[in-house]
Amino acid sequence: MGKVVATLAALAGCGVRTVLRAAREPAQRALLCPDGRAKPARGPRGPGLIVRASRGCSGEHWERSPLEERGSINEPVLNIDVLVALLRQENAKDICVIKLPVEIKYADYFIIVTGTSTRHLQAMAQYAVKVHKHLKRGETDHVHIEGKETDDWKCIDFGNIVVHFMLPEAREIYELEKLWTLRSYDDQFVKIPLEILPLDFIYTPTTDLEQK
Amino acid sequence: MALFTKGFVPLIRTAEAMSRMFSSSPVCVAVQKMTRVRVVDNSSLGNTPYHRPPKCIHVYTKNGIGKVGDKILLAIKGQKKKALIVGHKMPGPRMTPRFDSNNVVLIEDNGNPTGTRIKVPIPSSLRRLGGEYSKVLAIAQKFV
Repeated sequence: MGKVVATLAALAGCGVRTVLRAAREPAQRALLCPDGRAKPARGPRGPGLIVRASRGCSGEHWERSPLEERGSINEPVLNIDVLVALLRQENAKDICVIKLPVEIKYADYFIIVTGTSTRHLQAMAQYAVKVHKHLKRGETDHVHIEGKETDDWKCIDFGNIVVHFMLPEAREIYELEKLWTLRSYDDQFVKIPLEILPLDFIYTPTTDLEQK
Repeated sequence: MALFTKGFVPLIRTAEAMSRMFSSSPVCVAVQKMTRVRVVDNSSLGNTPYHRPPKCIHVYTKNGIGKVGDKILLAIKGQKKKALIVGHKMPGPRMTPRFDSNNVVLIEDNGNPTGTRIKVPIPSSLRRLGGEYSKVLAIAQKFV
C-alpha cells in the first residue's frame, strides 16, 4: 500500500503526505484522478496526475451530477500515461503502445511489454492490478490476470487498454506488434497455407428459415 | 414384415409418432464428443493433412455440451490436444454470429495458443465472457 501511495505521489509531483491526507479525509472526497488534459511530461515530473479535493462541506452528502452517476462504471479507470509511467517504473523493456482506430472495436490502446523473467512478468502484472484496484471506484469490475499457469505470456484487459506481458522468446514467436499495426498486410498471413478441406467436408449453406 | 428384417424397431413408437403427425428430432447441441471440428489457426498440427478429421473427445463443461468459449479435448493426428471453441453451427443467442462450421483454436495445457495467427473471423462476444480469451483475440485478424 505504501508503495502505491509513493508512486502516486511521485506521479502527482506532490508529497506523500498530501496524498495520504487527501485519501483519509472522510468529509472531503479527494479525487485522485488522472488528468487527461495534462501534457505527457518526461523527466522527474510525472504525467498529469493531480490530487483534487472536492468542495463538499463536512456532514452534507455530495451531490453528483446524474450524468456522472450513469457513466461511473464504464469510465476508463487507468489513463494511458499513468499505465506507461507505471511500466517504466517497473523496469519493463521494450514498451510498445499501439493506438487502435475506432473501427477495430476492441480497445483504445494495445500495449506489449517484455519482461526479464517469469517472476518479473508476474510482479508487473500484479502491480498494475494493484494500482487499478486503488484507482477504481467501488462499482467498477475487478480486473484479472490471464495466463497465471503460463510462464512466458501474461495478459490484462482493462477495458479501454489491453496489456500483454511477454518474454522475449514469446514476443518473437507471436509478433503481435506486426499484427496490430499492419492488420491485413501482416506477413504471417501470407505464409498461411491454403486450407485443404477434408474429403468428407460437406458445405451446406443454410437459409435463414432454418434458424430459430 | 420388412420392418422386422432391419433389426429391432419399436413398432409402438412409430405408430404413436405417426398418429401425432410431427417428427421428433434428437437433442441438438453445438459441440460434443465425437464432433468433427475445423481447426482455424495456422499451427502445423492443425494444418497438415491426415486421413482422419480432428474429433472432439471430451468437453470441459458441467454438461458435455460445448458452446463458444468452452475448452475441449481433441484427438488430432493421433495425439490429444486442448482447444477452444470459437464458433459453431448451432444458432446461439440473438445478435451473436452463427458459423457454417464448428471452428476451434488449438491451445496448450497452460492456455497459450499453439498457432500464431487466426484468419477466420472470431466473435467479439468472447471478450464479454469472463475467461482467458484475450490471447486468442490478440492473434485474431478479423472480428465479427
